[in-house]
Amino acid sequence: MRRGVTRRQVMAGAAAVAASAALGPQLGCAPLARRRRAAVAAEVREVATACEVCPNKCAVLAVVENGRVTKLNPNPASPKSRGMLCARGNAAIQALYDPDRVKGPLIRAGARGEGKWREVSWDEALDFTAQRLQEIREKYGPEGVMFSSTEGFQEEFFKNFALAFGSPNLLRHPTLCLASVNLAYSMTFGTVPSFDLLNARYVIMSGANRFESIITPDTMDLIDGTMNRKAKLVYLDPRFTVTAAKADEWYPIRPGTDLAFILAMLHVIIREQRYDKEFVTTRCLGFEELAAHVESCTPQWAEGETEIPARDITRIAREFADVAPRAVYYAGRRSSWYVNDFQMRRGQAILNAIVGSWDREGGVVPNSRIPLGELLVLPWDDPTAPRVDEIDSRFPLAARGDGAFLQARDNVLSGTPYPVKGWMVYKQDPMNALPDRGKTRRMLEAMDFVAVIDTQMSDTAWFADVVLPESMYLERTDPLHMLPGIWPVVVLRQQVVTPVHDTRPNLEIIQGLAKRLGLGDYFDYTIEEWIAEQAAELPVENPLEYLKKHGVFALEGAPFYGKTLAPGYRFLTRSGKVELVSARLAEAGHDPLPVYHPPTQPPQGAFRMVLGRKATHTHAATTNNPWLIEQTPTNDLWIHPEPAGRLGIASGDLVELASEVGHVRLPARVTPEIRPDCVFMLHGFGKISPWLRRAHGNGACDADVLVTAWDRVSGNAAFHETFVTVRKVVEEASHA
Amino acid sequence: MRKRLGLNSTRWALAFDTRKCINCKACVVACKAENGVPMGKFRNRINEERGGHYPHLRASFEPEQCHHCGSPSCVRVCPTGASYQREDGLVLVRTEDCIGCGYCIIACPYDARFFNPETRVVDKCTMCAHRVDAGREPACVETCPSRVRTFGNLDDPASELRRLLDSRRAYVKKPQTGNDPQGWYLV
Repeated sequence: MRRGVTRRQVMAGAAAVAASAALGPQLGCAPLARRRRAAVAAEVREVATACEVCPNKCAVLAVVENGRVTKLNPNPASPKSRGMLCARGNAAIQALYDPDRVKGPLIRAGARGEGKWREVSWDEALDFTAQRLQEIREKYGPEGVMFSSTEGFQEEFFKNFALAFGSPNLLRHPTLCLASVNLAYSMTFGTVPSFDLLNARYVIMSGANRFESIITPDTMDLIDGTMNRKAKLVYLDPRFTVTAAKADEWYPIRPGTDLAFILAMLHVIIREQRYDKEFVTTRCLGFEELAAHVESCTPQWAEGETEIPARDITRIAREFADVAPRAVYYAGRRSSWYVNDFQMRRGQAILNAIVGSWDREGGVVPNSRIPLGELLVLPWDDPTAPRVDEIDSRFPLAARGDGAFLQARDNVLSGTPYPVKGWMVYKQDPMNALPDRGKTRRMLEAMDFVAVIDTQMSDTAWFADVVLPESMYLERTDPLHMLPGIWPVVVLRQQVVTPVHDTRPNLEIIQGLAKRLGLGDYFDYTIEEWIAEQAAELPVENPLEYLKKHGVFALEGAPFYGKTLAPGYRFLTRSGKVELVSARLAEAGHDPLPVYHPPTQPPQGAFRMVLGRKATHTHAATTNNPWLIEQTPTNDLWIHPEPAGRLGIASGDLVELASEVGHVRLPARVTPEIRPDCVFMLHGFGKISPWLRRAHGNGACDADVLVTAWDRVSGNAAFHETFVTVRKVVEEASHA
Repeated sequence: MRKRLGLNSTRWALAFDTRKCINCKACVVACKAENGVPMGKFRNRINEERGGHYPHLRASFEPEQCHHCGSPSCVRVCPTGASYQREDGLVLVRTEDCIGCGYCIIACPYDARFFNPETRVVDKCTMCAHRVDAGREPACVETCPSRVRTFGNLDDPASELRRLLDSRRAYVKKPQTGNDPQGWYLV
């Protein structure tokens, strides 16, 4: 029998707490109120759906009792989530029933950011939004409105709305995330692959802290591999993370020198002829140039750059090459770190290529897919204006449709090449996601109109003109999505309960706006029609019924390797080969082979700030969740004992962290688990929005001190280019 | 020692492969959701141990909850009989008989019990008896991303749990208490 708490029990509990307060100590007293099993049998049902607390889309079985979600269980049907559900997935119930949610549409009533809101009907909110968008369109053209969003199953409706509206200025998440990795692999192999950690025997990772930053199925496969099948894990990170603790070898590498390590590995493998000669000869382009390029990159040279002993680099290179193709240099899926990030990622891809760890069991594997149907909709004319981020000239190789977020912000602020005065945000919190929060705020304040679609009052929503509350994932049905991978799956996120508040799915919000802007015909369908068309061709009987029952569709049988190794296969690169040397890079003005540039070092007395994640929080989105904040209540500043001693800082002391763009205060954590020249703080705290009561003013926000920098090739934000000073805050009282 | 009740007997227990624990807290939050555990209270936890000197550091994580002992001291000290042990080994609290005296909280060598301020009685891990009785795994076992826990019947030679304990070394915590704890930590 389940022990969910009913309203009556909560009331009884409250009464008991009130009574106990009057009676004093609790232990030893006879209980004043006792939990009674509900006399009425609950109506219990289980609904298969897909989690949305992070981007993994893990399969979930939601238990619903009398119309209320009481438990989220893992759904073993998904080969991607491998039958697990993490802490965040389990805690989604708290987000659903969080009293801090936005309960209906809001229009700003005071000054921007003042926090005065008027509760309005959906009609009024949509009328208002459409009217303001129309005003900007008339005055500045449709390109005068910028649309930004993060990934999600309903993002495509938002994206389509932007394009139908006529604005080319769509900014998606990759340049705040993994654009440099994607581009590096695309430029080398012509595709973005997966890593077969389930079968790999040797894994090298640069900072992709996979045991704290959970990616399915990689995290589970890696722990299974390292612990059950004795795969070797070599981990480079300036910080001693959980991944470092679990690794066979951890090297606190000098930040920003990973490419030197990789080039030295290439040097050893080529010098000692340990590469896959057959693969290199038949599949790769430019091996001779590569060999000449890395000739001077000796392990002794790399030791000076990385602080990793030359003999270890040599040994790791030999081990790696000898275990290949069951050896991978794992790319991870994390924000880029340095202005040379693309080249570092490309170095990894090239290393994987020359040892032949491509499209073979245990290696780097191009993704398999399951084709989905598509609902034919009325086509719109593509926007004609150039993009505000000038991506075509600044980052000609980057993914055009994703945009370059930081370049866009700079251009919007300077009004080049044209004014952008409206901003619609979907499911994203740029106030936390972008470095330099002060700059983001200046952009917000320069806007004539800002609309935010979100499930909670994010820091960005707090500065908006209108907040359109989206239904949370358990309250809505989303389009089907196929998740490519070694084990591709199709997942359905279906509605589990009716919305708790006056919220709507994104599609209905978009339809409401489109109708008012004369774009209704482009969105003239229902979510059910959309899904039915997507599911129609799936190779299973009654595909939609199947998905509604199981939540997931996966192909049967073992994964398929080697489709790109067939004779005559053309890689999707210009030459049709794996490009160790890239002519396209040279044409775009970049190094055709990865060239190492020593990173700028922090000035005397300053530190490099490094970022990272923890398994209990998703970016900045979950720090108001009671069950997650209970596990990780706040953030603090990791600082090594040596500099801490020099600065007179002890654990728990309040310190001030300052960069050229801002400063924050938070408690110090003096720990040997970080290099002496770095400091670290967890992302997602120090929220401005008072409607996030547990996160507001709790800890410090990293975006306040991070400086704007980006990778030269992809335009991806470079998050490890910030230098900070740290000082102990002396209490005012002690001066008296 | 445990009583062997014959071929068809059931003795539920847990084994922990702590090397695989990544301290992600999925088990802790899943338990909370499954069992309605109040804020600030937990039926299971992950112990952390850190040490070493830079750059030679170590960190290890060890999930812990009620060991469902073979000879549970918490049951012995209970003045009302509210704490009891089922034939299948699970140590439970009959809430309607608990007076909240807290003797069992003190008697438990593993700090596995707490006073629940909402129900006003002693609370602890039940091994999700309601799920186990319905043929399912405890919530903490099912949700774990890295499969740290193995739940099963010690008396069933074919069980995964038995197979693990037969093939790998394992220890129990604080065996000197005489409680005959049944939380098995694989080496």
